[in-house]
Amino acid sequence: MSLLSITDLSISFGGLKAVSGFNLELAQGRLQGLIGPNGAGKTTCFNLLTGVYAPTSGTIRLAGRTLNGLRPHQIAAAGLARTFQNIRLFPELTVLDNVRIGCHLRTRSTMAGALLRSPFHVREERAMVERCRGLLEVLNLADRADEQARNLPYGDQRRLEIARALATQPKVLLLDEPAAGMNTQEKKELRGLIRQILRDFGLTILLIEHDMGLVMDICEFITVLDHGVTISAGTPAHVQNDPKVVEAYLGAPAGAEEVA
Amino acid sequence: MSSQPVSVKGSGGAGGAPLRMLWPFALALAVAAFMHFVVGPNFNGTVVQVLLFAGINITLAVSLTMVNGFTGQFSIGHAGFMAVGGYVAGGLVYYLSARFFDSPQIAFHGGILSAGADYRPDPDHPLPLLSRGDLIMIGSCLAGGLVAAGAGYVVGLPTLRLRGDYLAIVTLGFGEIVRVIFQGTGPQVLFTKAQEMRDTPLHQLAWKLGGAQGFNFIPIYATLFWVFLLASITVAAALRLKYSSPGRAMISIREDEVAAQAMGVNVTRYKVRAFVLASFFAGLAGALAALSIGQMNASAYGFIKSFDFIIMIVLGGMGSISGAVLAATVLTILPEALRQFDSYRMIAYALLLIIIMILRPQGLFGIREVWELGPVRRLLARAGRGGSAA
Amino acid sequence: MSSFLQTLIDGVTVGGLYALIALGYTMVYGILKFINFAHSDIFTLGAWMTLTIAGWLGVQAGGGATGPAAWYVGVGVLVLTMVFVGVVGFVIERLAYRPLRQAPKLNVLITAIGVSLFLQNFGQLKFIFGTDPAPTPLLLPGVTLFSVGGVSIQLVDVAVIGTSLVLMLGMEVLIFRTRMGSAMRAVSFSTRNASLMGINVDKVISFTFVIGAMLAAAAGFLYTLKYPGQLKQTADGMWVMLGLKAFVAAVVGGIGNVRGAVLGGLLIGLIEYLSVAYLKSEYRDAYVFAILILVLLFRPEGILGRATVEKV
Ligand SMILES: Nc1ncnc2c1ncn2[C@@H]1O[C@H](COP(=O)(O)OP(=O)(O)OP(=O)(O)O)[C@@H](O)[C@H]1O
Ligand SMILES: [Mg+2]
Repeated sequence: MSLLSITDLSISFGGLKAVSGFNLELAQGRLQGLIGPNGAGKTTCFNLLTGVYAPTSGTIRLAGRTLNGLRPHQIAAAGLARTFQNIRLFPELTVLDNVRIGCHLRTRSTMAGALLRSPFHVREERAMVERCRGLLEVLNLADRADEQARNLPYGDQRRLEIARALATQPKVLLLDEPAAGMNTQEKKELRGLIRQILRDFGLTILLIEHDMGLVMDICEFITVLDHGVTISAGTPAHVQNDPKVVEAYLGAPAGAEEVA
Repeated sequence: MSSQPVSVKGSGGAGGAPLRMLWPFALALAVAAFMHFVVGPNFNGTVVQVLLFAGINITLAVSLTMVNGFTGQFSIGHAGFMAVGGYVAGGLVYYLSARFFDSPQIAFHGGILSAGADYRPDPDHPLPLLSRGDLIMIGSCLAGGLVAAGAGYVVGLPTLRLRGDYLAIVTLGFGEIVRVIFQGTGPQVLFTKAQEMRDTPLHQLAWKLGGAQGFNFIPIYATLFWVFLLASITVAAALRLKYSSPGRAMISIREDEVAAQAMGVNVTRYKVRAFVLASFFAGLAGALAALSIGQMNASAYGFIKSFDFIIMIVLGGMGSISGAVLAATVLTILPEALRQFDSYRMIAYALLLIIIMILRPQGLFGIREVWELGPVRRLLARAGRGGSAA
Repeated sequence: MSSFLQTLIDGVTVGGLYALIALGYTMVYGILKFINFAHSDIFTLGAWMTLTIAGWLGVQAGGGATGPAAWYVGVGVLVLTMVFVGVVGFVIERLAYRPLRQAPKLNVLITAIGVSLFLQNFGQLKFIFGTDPAPTPLLLPGVTLFSVGGVSIQLVDVAVIGTSLVLMLGMEVLIFRTRMGSAMRAVSFSTRNASLMGINVDKVISFTFVIGAMLAAAAGFLYTLKYPGQLKQTADGMWVMLGLKAFVAAVVGGIGNVRGAVLGGLLIGLIEYLSVAYLKSEYRDAYVFAILILVLLFRPEGILGRATVEKV
């Protein structure tokens, strides 16, 4: 049985059908890709999954639990974490604090405990720092822990988003263009990193990415969206040779030049 | 990966726990006692009055920081909560004193801690440290704080969905409604009519808060002790909140609400909590303000008053507690020192606001505390090294 | 019955004032997406400049010995006030708001609060308007035009409603029938796209501020007609209250929507006067804010506004 299962997901903004009839099955431990030209509706899918927008129709189930109607923070608690295409860190806060906020969801101490510095609270905060430093270690950000997030270079910010999302202890991680703005070297490292967290954290990942080299290399299964509609799905080899995909990227009058 | 909580090990220095839990409160007591017994007697009444206002303003600015600085909601009705606390506490102390002290005089029945700076010990009638009057006063202040917190909840819950600027207007509207309501209350029962006061049931007295004439003759209990006790506790609470998981959750909302939600922060819950906590402290500060000047007049608690606190936290840096303390202190003392330029004061404030927003939008310290700023940090590090070398 | 009619007339008259002020809030919001907190002070400035300019033109407070001024003097005062306040609006936008074009909305709001405090307190200086209330000039004779069913229709009411109507129609034409109007609508739809289409966004924003300020100035002028007597000092809370009610009107009608502002203004004016007449009058300010809170809770986009979703 699949961990995340999406059936017939649709949303429209005014007259625009941003996503229509989207289906996806994601089994535990898999790494799947979601691609498509600009404006295809990929990010909108993530927004639907994480409760930012309410779908017009369709159901989302995570480990057998229906997520529809839950608020974003409840969805995060249920085990769905994401990164943002247009980086949304907590810019004034330090790198460590950004990750600590990811941990907040799994903390138990109360506000009174925090104000009184109860022994439980103190232990919990200590354990939290330890875990966050561990995560920063994994994402090569350990030596930046005390810097303000907004002062980090672009690539580091993208990795910090991943660290923060991992801190919520997700079952499924949604990565929205994690390689955007990275240089070749960074992209190469990212590739290894994604494989590593998939393995070490027992994760399941859904990845949006425009870098075809990266997607084709690390994904086992790819879904292709265009104008909100799924036009193809299958192995990288299958998708690459699908004429509809080629047309969506090259034949479509709009958006073709951006892909080049 | 399982969704178990952050694993918490059983070990850890449990022996030092009570000390670690309570030291800020001990420190707050020490500060308060120092202000009351050492600073107070050495200055004249005017200076003490200014210090009282400074302490009250520190409490208000720091509590406002919890809302405007932490969760980033822009409340401009803070004076409204202050008024609620002031009326509740003032009314309670006034009418309860009449009940409990069977004398036509509502005057002061406090102990040494509540005795003003002009009090000179009288060996024949020594004052206790705390007396029954003080208990009434403390209870009334807490009641004022709680009612203000309740008001915070009532305003907060339905309106927190609103975007920043709308929330600002609604809080302003709330402050005005509070003012209008208090101005519509019935006439105060004066202490000259002791019998009437004793015969009227308390719940009826609750609406006899003086209306447009204001509520007068409140016994004066607020001393440097109580004011600085409250201010210190507020500062300690704000700092502890800021450096803990719930506080960081609040700050994440201000930084990026969408991202905060995606990271599992219950945005509504923390917005309401920040609002309620801030209202509670504002109510307490309002209570002490009423008990320090002996009267309440709703017209003095309109939005103009709220703007005073806005200016303080904008200047200090929204989210910086030490910044709020500094700004509140300076902006309380400076106008007193520059009395003759009073008509220019608000103009200067206004220009200050505009210029800060253009040149240094994050305020003096931004979200950081004084000791977290680069230069101060280096200085502290050097001092630390010097200390360990010695 | 006659008192009911009288209440309606008063409500509509004041509603017209609210509508004129609300137009300024709504246009600036439509374009810059921020609440111009200082707009109520622009309105105040309009009222005080009416008094000042009338003084320069020799109109005496309360009519004095000369009686009410000739009609063209009144029109002259109106025009000069609008021009003067329009210039002030231009300068404010240029100095205080333009440097913050890219800043977070909260910073702009704080700046607007700063501008508001500045205008209020600057106006209180001895050599500006001072800290004492001042008598309004008599620009219109207190004539009863006709009576219907026991209600006397005053010249003032007709003048106020008439002027408001003319200005609102002017706005309608400006926004929907002129090049500048379509530029304004384009900018309010998307600042970025508008500038890509070759629209000079800064110019449009300046223009919007000036127009908003001029309408508020006209409202200030009309206010002195409708409420002759003593004009309160510029920092008096009552001005901010008036401005806020106009803001509520803009929100109720649908902020960003020009026709909504007019509709909202009339509604708020009527609701205020009816509630004062038939409910407890001490709470008049509370009623309006209660309406604001209800609208924001149940239809935050207002009557004519469109709901929007924030893009993530
Ligand atoms: N809140 C919204 N309101 C209106 N339209 C929206 C909204 N969010 C997304 N859209 C539209 O939905 C379509 C899909 O957008 P989406 O961001 O999902 O594309 P995408 O596949 O992520 O593209 P890209 O590769 O450029 O990130 C676009 O046309 C976009 O303009
Ligand atoms: Mg996208």
